[in-house]
Amino acid sequence: MSFLGIGGNQSTPAGGVNRDKIEMATEQLDMITDVYNRLVESCHAKCISPRYSEGDLNKGESVCIDRCVAKFFEVNKKVGEKLQSLGPGAGGGAGGSAFGSL
Amino acid sequence: MALPMVTPIFPAGKEPLPPGISEEERQQMLQMKKWQDFMTTGMESCAAKTVIAGVGGFAIGGFFSLMQASFAYEDPLMRQQTQAGWSNTQKAREVFKEMGRNMWRSGKGFGKVGALFAGIECVIESYRARNDMVNPVAAGFVAGGVLARNAGPKAVVGGGLAFAAFSAAIDLFLRRETPEED
Repeated sequence: MSFLGIGGNQSTPAGGVNRDKIEMATEQLDMITDVYNRLVESCHAKCISPRYSEGDLNKGESVCIDRCVAKFFEVNKKVGEKLQSLGPGAGGGAGGSAFGSL
Repeated sequence: MALPMVTPIFPAGKEPLPPGISEEERQQMLQMKKWQDFMTTGMESCAAKTVIAGVGGFAIGGFFSLMQASFAYEDPLMRQQTQAGWSNTQKAREVFKEMGRNMWRSGKGFGKVGALFAGIECVIESYRARNDMVNPVAAGFVAGGVLARNAGPKAVVGGGLAFAAFSAAIDLFLRRETPEED
């Protein structure tokens, strides 16, 4: 994930001067955590049937989860592009929290 | 990677190490993990499943043929003609050779059936990305059809239906609701 690098690089503690950066890093961390939780929740709901016969993933289930994760990111990217094309006003300020609250 | 169930927030290469491994061994650990994942993915792949089913089918076919050899009857008159002056060792060797030939033939047949069915079912399941009853039934139909391909179209359909029903019965048994063992 490309934003992992950003989040990591900016979370170096350096006192009051970096307060903005720390805030931005915290927000990004929250966003990443939210996306991850949504991804796990939605792919689990879609791919894994409620009847558990064993603990390991079947072939069908692992293929489904691969496709689900890929589709999720594709959808995310596409929606992001559309939002950006609507204009910098709509896409800029509300963009971060909009993705989180979708 | 080291903390399961937690958001992957660490930059690649700086994830916390599992206890007992130092920083220098990180590369080694990653290499080992790579090979381990390779092995697991390989074992779960369709090719590996086909091979395993083929070998298992071969073994079962050989075993059944071995059991069948004990019920085998033969024609003493014809034996009198073809094996006229043979010694006991020669006769015994001939018996074992015949048994070996039958085991090989039967093993090949069962192996073909097993490999075909397992391979087709794995491909169908990978395509549909679902694990339910449709996969073994469809795979049984196709496998039965392929096995009867030399006997005309009606035999293909009939053989397919028969194998599909058989495979459905077996999978219904394998997927039955077992009682809760508390």
